[in-house]
Amino acid sequence: MAKREKVAVKICVGTACFVQGGADLLLYDEFLDPIVLAHCEIEGVSCLGKCKEADSKESAPFVQVGDIIHGDMTEEKFCRLVTEAVHA
Amino acid sequence: MLEMNNQYNQIRAKVLKQFFDGTLEQNADKIPFYIIPKSRVPNRCCIYKERAMIRYRIMAMLGINIETDDDEMKSLSEYVKEVLLEDKPPVPILTTISTACSACPPDRYLISDACRGCFARPCLANCPKDCISFINGKAHIDESRCIRCGKCEGVCPFHAVVHIPVPCEQACPVDAVKKNEEGYVEIDYKKCISCGRCAASCPFGAIVERSGLIAVVKMLKAKEHVTAMIAPAIEGQFPGTLAQIKSALLASGFSSVVEVSQGAETTSVHEAQELMSRKENKLGYMTTSCCPAYMEMVDKHVPFLSEKRSSALSPMGYTALWCKEQNAGTKTVFIGPCLAKKVEAARMKSVDGVMTFGEFASLFLAKGIDVREMEGSDLGDTSLFEDCREFALSSGVASSVLRRLENPQDVEVLSIDGIDKKMFRAMKIWEKRAPEAALIEVMCCGGGCISGPGTVVKPSVAKRLRGGNKAAAPVKAMREPITRR
Repeated sequence: MAKREKVAVKICVGTACFVQGGADLLLYDEFLDPIVLAHCEIEGVSCLGKCKEADSKESAPFVQVGDIIHGDMTEEKFCRLVTEAVHA
Repeated sequence: MLEMNNQYNQIRAKVLKQFFDGTLEQNADKIPFYIIPKSRVPNRCCIYKERAMIRYRIMAMLGINIETDDDEMKSLSEYVKEVLLEDKPPVPILTTISTACSACPPDRYLISDACRGCFARPCLANCPKDCISFINGKAHIDESRCIRCGKCEGVCPFHAVVHIPVPCEQACPVDAVKKNEEGYVEIDYKKCISCGRCAASCPFGAIVERSGLIAVVKMLKAKEHVTAMIAPAIEGQFPGTLAQIKSALLASGFSSVVEVSQGAETTSVHEAQELMSRKENKLGYMTTSCCPAYMEMVDKHVPFLSEKRSSALSPMGYTALWCKEQNAGTKTVFIGPCLAKKVEAARMKSVDGVMTFGEFASLFLAKGIDVREMEGSDLGDTSLFEDCREFALSSGVASSVLRRLENPQDVEVLSIDGIDKKMFRAMKIWEKRAPEAALIEVMCCGGGCISGPGTVVKPSVAKRLRGGNKAAAPVKAMREPITRR
C-alpha cells in the first residue's frame, strides 16, 4: 500500500455513547487488524452531536470515519467500516 | 450482549425522563411502542413479544416482583400509580420472566458430525461410565448414563464433542437456579445469594433485577437532601475524572457526594486490628466481610465461616453511618456495581437507597448530562483513603488491610478471585481443613467489583481507564500500546 494520509476515525465518548457501548470500542487495538490500525488515526472525541438530532434514525454509539458519522456501532461494524475506508 | 444492555439503558432513560416530566403515569403504556417500533426487525419471534418483554422490564424497573405480582389485566400506568404512592424494598432482588425463558434443555454433551469414528476412540477409553457406543461408525452418548463430566470433550482430537450448557444454571455458584416442571427457570430464594450472575448470563433476558431506582428519583424530585455514596469501582465507568463525576452527580440532583473509599479506610483499619488480635489469640484465619454476596453465602450455605469473617462493617456501612452523623436528615444512596448490596442495604437503617452504575447512567441520559463536559468539583482531602479505591479490584482489599499493619510481611494472604461452583465446593472443605493463610480476601465477582453485574463498561475497559485522570482523556490512555508497536 502506497504511503498516504491516514484515515481519521473519531469514537464518540460523550456520556450517551460511552455508556451505550462506545466504551467497548475503545478496545479497538484488541479487535482491529493491526495492518488496518497502522493506516488510521483513531481518537476518542467529545459528543459528535448526532444523538441530539430528533429525527435521527440511528442511535448511540456513534463513530465518525472520514467525514461520515455512523450510528448503532458494534465491533463488527466498526472493523468493516474502518477497513473499507483504509482500502478505499 | 451489547444490544440487550443498550435496550435496558434506553428503557430506563425513557421511563426516567417521563418521570421527571411528571407524565410517567399517563405515558407508561406507550413506552414499549417507542422502544420497539413497527419497523424493527425482531430478535425474538415477533415485535409483539418483544413489546411484552419491554413491559416486563419496565415492571422490574418499578421494583415489582414479576413472579408473584404480575397481573396481565393491569396496565403499566396502574402499576406506576401504586409505585409512586408507596416504596417497597425490592427483596428478593431477582425475579424471573417465565415467558421470556426459552426452557433450554438440560445441560448435556453431544457428539457432532465432526466425529470421524477414529481407530483410537479416546472418548470411549476415557469415559468413566461406559456410556459411549459406536453406531454406524460414529460415537454416540447414552444420555441416561452420562454424568456430564466432560472428559470426552477434552480428549477428542476433532473437537467433535460439544457441551451445551444451561447458562443460568451454570453461572449460579450455589445451585439456586433450577427448572420447574414445565422446564422454565425458577430461583430458589432460600439458596440465592443475590450475586446476579444468572441475570447476566441469560441470553434471553429471562432473569431480571428488581430496581430500587424509582425510590431514589422520588427523593431527588422531592428535593430532599440526598447524599450520593459512590463505590470505589466508579472510576472508569464514565468518561471523566472522579471530580467530573461528582459534578455530574450534583447536576443530576444529589445534594452532596461522598466516596465510599472513605468508609473502606475504616473497614481496613478495623480488619487490620482484628487480624492482629486473632493472631495473638490463635483464632486462625480471618476472611474479609465487604462482599455482600459472600456474606449471604456464609449465612445460607457455609455457616461455619460466620465466626471466621471479620466483624467490620462494609465500606458502605461505615460511609452511611458517617453521612448520618454529619447530617441526620440526609438520605443516603449507594451507587455501585453490585446487586447484593441491595440486600445488605435493605437490612440497614442507615442506607436509604441503592443504584447500580447502569441505572445511574440512565439518569445521565434522561437528564442529558455529559460527564466529559463538566467542570470538575473539589473532592476535598482524599489523601487518607485514596489507596482504598483499590477495594474495587481483586486483591485490593487485602493490600489495603496489609498497608495498615505493622508487619505486613508476616501475614499470609489468600485471594478468592471470584466464586464459581468449584470455588464454592473448595470453600466448604475449609470446615475440615483450614486454608493456609491468615487473611482471606473474598470477592464474589472474578476480578473484583469492576466485574459486577451492575457495571456499564467491560472490566478490561474499566481497568485501563482507572487510576490518575485517564478517563478524562481515554484516547491517550488507550493509544499507549499502539505507539509501542
